[in-house]
Amino acid sequence: MRVALAEDGALFREGLVMLLQAAGHEIVGCTADGDSLVELLSSQTADVTILDIRMPPEPDGGLLTAGRLRAMQPDMGLLFLSHYAESHYLMRILQVGTEAIGYRLKEKVGSVDVLTDTLDRIRSGEIVIEPVLAKRLVERPRGGKRGAVAALSERELDVLRLMAEGRSNNGIAAQLFVTPKAVEKHIANIFGKLNLYADAAEHHRRVLAVLTYLRSQRDEM
Amino acid sequence: MTLDPVAWRPGKVSGNVEQSRPTASAEHDHWLRRRLLQRQLHDGAALRISALTLQFGLFRHQVLETDRHLQESVDGLQDQLHAVLQDLRDVAGQIYPPLLDQAGLGPALREMASRAPVTVRVDAPATRFEPAVEAIAYFAVTECLDALDGEGPPVDVLVRCDGEVLLVTMTGVDVRRARMMDEQVRRMGGTVDTPGGTEIGTIIARIPCE
Repeated sequence: MRVALAEDGALFREGLVMLLQAAGHEIVGCTADGDSLVELLSSQTADVTILDIRMPPEPDGGLLTAGRLRAMQPDMGLLFLSHYAESHYLMRILQVGTEAIGYRLKEKVGSVDVLTDTLDRIRSGEIVIEPVLAKRLVERPRGGKRGAVAALSERELDVLRLMAEGRSNNGIAAQLFVTPKAVEKHIANIFGKLNLYADAAEHHRRVLAVLTYLRSQRDEM
Repeated sequence: MTLDPVAWRPGKVSGNVEQSRPTASAEHDHWLRRRLLQRQLHDGAALRISALTLQFGLFRHQVLETDRHLQESVDGLQDQLHAVLQDLRDVAGQIYPPLLDQAGLGPALREMASRAPVTVRVDAPATRFEPAVEAIAYFAVTECLDALDGEGPPVDVLVRCDGEVLLVTMTGVDVRRARMMDEQVRRMGGTVDTPGGTEIGTIIARIPCE
């Protein structure tokens, strides 16, 4: 895979380049800030670009740069890396795009397998969210927090949590030890209960389902 | 390392211009130092440890496929580094919340609210304020939310800038928590009031902001 990356921490940047190369990926460019990366990618293409959220141009150059890159090369995947897994940044990332996009903790991509799996999933159009964040966002509703998801069953919440991690139907089925057919049924129920009707594309509805859950927890957006 | 170089000053401060000015100035310095420490943690130790996980990943890749024991040892070390980083994130959050630094009071309060055991509705402007003002407002709300358990009523946090004063109104909270935030707010020359309610009620913090 052709990968570009921008990260202002030299030590981390160099480590990431070495790991990517060990995984067999081609590094088309590597910069310490967003502006240089935009310049670099104006004459080259990459399958996925990896961006540090907190880098120049300050304060969150990764997000600004991502918006520019998505406009330049809409098909290029974007992977955000950060020291923090915050729903605030996830919201902003999903505003950049809801396809071929990912958000992971820096220390969680430190293996060839995980890094390659993350990049593959993004390249194929999925949303990849750091599992710890996905879990926190869709954890069991407590007290009066139920809101829009009050109608969901425990099993449907499990499915929604795995959807928030960007898992495919088959992936969800494997995790929950049920058939893909059963997962489809749960997802159809979730869409129905959250009033997400069939006029949107399947992938888009998945994202909307997750966002509906987030909105039920946060009076934002 | 001492994280609180500003000694507590006894005596009346609120409303006393002569005393509140140097105190407020020391308070500003204090929060700037805390913010700097948090940034140093992020740019220093945290980034070094994250880079170390990549080096372990590279090492693991070079270990022979057949050496399962060594591979599992490396996995274990990476998990431990993740735990170390989680500890550092907790510490950084207590020194000066990174999201408060990067995105401001509204996003930081909403993030905190999303982790609270009861519904917390946050209404805050996107405006940025001085680091000391944002931090004192943030930790004032933390003081209240920390006391909540899963059974309580919903809490409303309203943040408004009224001229030169930042008003933080918390409704549905234990008014006895007002004592906990009073000292810090007073050091900035502000006030904390509890208009009505002896247990669950409203707390209003007024923090001078320029």
